[in-house]
Amino acid sequence: MICLPRFFALGVLLAALVFFVGLPSPGNAASGSIPQRVVSLAPSITETVFALGFGVRLVGVTNHCDYPAEAKRLPKIGDFMSPSLEAIAAKRPDLVIGVDGATDPAKAREIERLGIKITLLSVSSVTEILSSFKRIAELLGDPEAGARLVKKTTVQFDKVKTRVAPAPRRLVLLAVGLRPLVAVGGKNFLDELVTLAGGENIAANAPQPWLNLPDEYVVAKAPQVIIQAGMGSDTGGSARHWSDLKSIPAVKEMRVYTYNSDKILRPGPRIGEGLEDLARLIHPECFDPASSGVAKGSLCEGSGP
Amino acid sequence: MKVLDLRKLVLVNGALLILLILSAAACTLLGPVRLDLSHALSHLFSSNADTEILLRARLPRVLLGIAIGGGMAACGVVLQALLGNPLACPQMLGVSGGASLGGILGIIFFPNWLLPIAGGRLGEISWIPLAAFLGALLSMILVYRFSLFHGRLHPYHLLLSGVILNSFIAAVIMFLNSIVDFYQAQGLLFWLMGSLSTRAYLTVGFIWFYIAVGFLWLWSKGLSLNLITLGEDAAMHLGVEPGALQGQVFIAASLMIGAMVSVSGVIGFVGLMVPHVMRLLIGSDHRLLLPASFLAGGIFLCWADTLARILLAPAELPVGIVTAFFGGPFFLFLLYREGRRSLAL
Repeated sequence: MICLPRFFALGVLLAALVFFVGLPSPGNAASGSIPQRVVSLAPSITETVFALGFGVRLVGVTNHCDYPAEAKRLPKIGDFMSPSLEAIAAKRPDLVIGVDGATDPAKAREIERLGIKITLLSVSSVTEILSSFKRIAELLGDPEAGARLVKKTTVQFDKVKTRVAPAPRRLVLLAVGLRPLVAVGGKNFLDELVTLAGGENIAANAPQPWLNLPDEYVVAKAPQVIIQAGMGSDTGGSARHWSDLKSIPAVKEMRVYTYNSDKILRPGPRIGEGLEDLARLIHPECFDPASSGVAKGSLCEGSGP
Repeated sequence: MKVLDLRKLVLVNGALLILLILSAAACTLLGPVRLDLSHALSHLFSSNADTEILLRARLPRVLLGIAIGGGMAACGVVLQALLGNPLACPQMLGVSGGASLGGILGIIFFPNWLLPIAGGRLGEISWIPLAAFLGALLSMILVYRFSLFHGRLHPYHLLLSGVILNSFIAAVIMFLNSIVDFYQAQGLLFWLMGSLSTRAYLTVGFIWFYIAVGFLWLWSKGLSLNLITLGEDAAMHLGVEPGALQGQVFIAASLMIGAMVSVSGVIGFVGLMVPHVMRLLIGSDHRLLLPASFLAGGIFLCWADTLARILLAPAELPVGIVTAFFGGPFFLFLLYREGRRSLAL
């Protein structure tokens, strides 16, 4: 109704499919209600499905899904923000999993109208990320796999928490963009990760999940660690960017880092590993007292592995 | 043509200049974080937070805002006269689109390149503004070429080719935006919305020099601009060669706009609304209107940027949102007014 040409195109496409591919094989129905053909609408979902051991059931992923390596070889159904309805339908999925807030709700409704089951998962906090593991595992018919993944991640979290527990909290600026400066605000799972890693996000009081921070705010908040995350941030750029603001402790003590991985940026199964990386940047002395150089090594002596 | 009222020129611009200096001082002292001015001034040469907030985070930004606001307003004045169109603004010329595209290609392909100049306290210089300026120059040449017939620049074609080039470039930008990764796309969006954030005095100095030269040159054409608003034929009879004037003014304004968009992105509405406000307040003698618009544009953008820093603190709003927020309703008011009585250019 809303988009007649698209429905027409879809109709033609479906007719063509029925003609060339034949009607959906009864095999689908035979395996009961457990989905066998899954389309993922977000890189984090793709990672979770693989981590749960169901990568083989994925029949379509987004252009951004590049982890694990097998995901790169899977058929693409378009962009993370704007997947192609036709491409999704062509995969004849029995389950589509998207992310609440990122997947276009209008598109989700259209997918539903085609009779395809779609589930949108909320992943904006650590708790929600962990329950998304369980939920996906339930949907795929193996709740134990979900519980195992949650357990594995919680163990990783606890390990990091124990490590950094004796160290005093360090003020952290976690940014994903440099020009302009896009930082992690409150209401973002990354803010929770910073806290878990023994840091305190300088923009935690901001209601936005991402925000553009003015330089003066960073100077006034005096972060002790500056982390530039995000793919494509080249090493050294961030340190040079801040080098003229010597009053910032992170700059003075040379704790400006570039974290060139999306482990922490994707609300998926690698956040446990990502959290450890983050904690190593914020509290290097808690992990490797020898390498920290400065006399901060003593802060973490109490903590056993 | 009326004789220039020198007393009015000095009075109006003197008052605006004082207002500009006061605004600059106020905007340097205002911000989302508290600034201890006496501490900042008494420890000027040691690295402390107050001095850095004052001299590194705020002052260059305020100075840049004044130059860009003034430059945009001055360009708006001459473009509205040149094109005989009250809706003309620096964003319409195609040059801003070219600069945006250049800047975005810069962000995508060499986001962290810096010029191999020891920045030090003058600040680093990113490669992005240079890429943007290159884009501005190329699009200026394109628009110029497409509006030049029989050796004359046609305002009608200038406006149309500028608008069309801009929409074409907008499409290219949206395409690029949809192929880059998610976080880069967010960066592009922020860049496109425009920001005056800078700590590089070298950039600010460059822009000031550029804008000052361009502005003085445009101001020297004030009388000719007055004549051309009477119509091309009338101007010709009064000794102005419209083709030559249009060509020169277009190139001067384009170069200024290109430089401005290169460092701050597209900041809308300053170039559109400030000239109209000043025309309503002090009349349309360009010898008076140009400097007055420059000063008023500087004051306006200076305050808009301060609001952008404060309103949602600690988050910084794109300054284009603030200017458009005040400019949009004003623009509608103008249209309504124009419907009732024709707008005097």
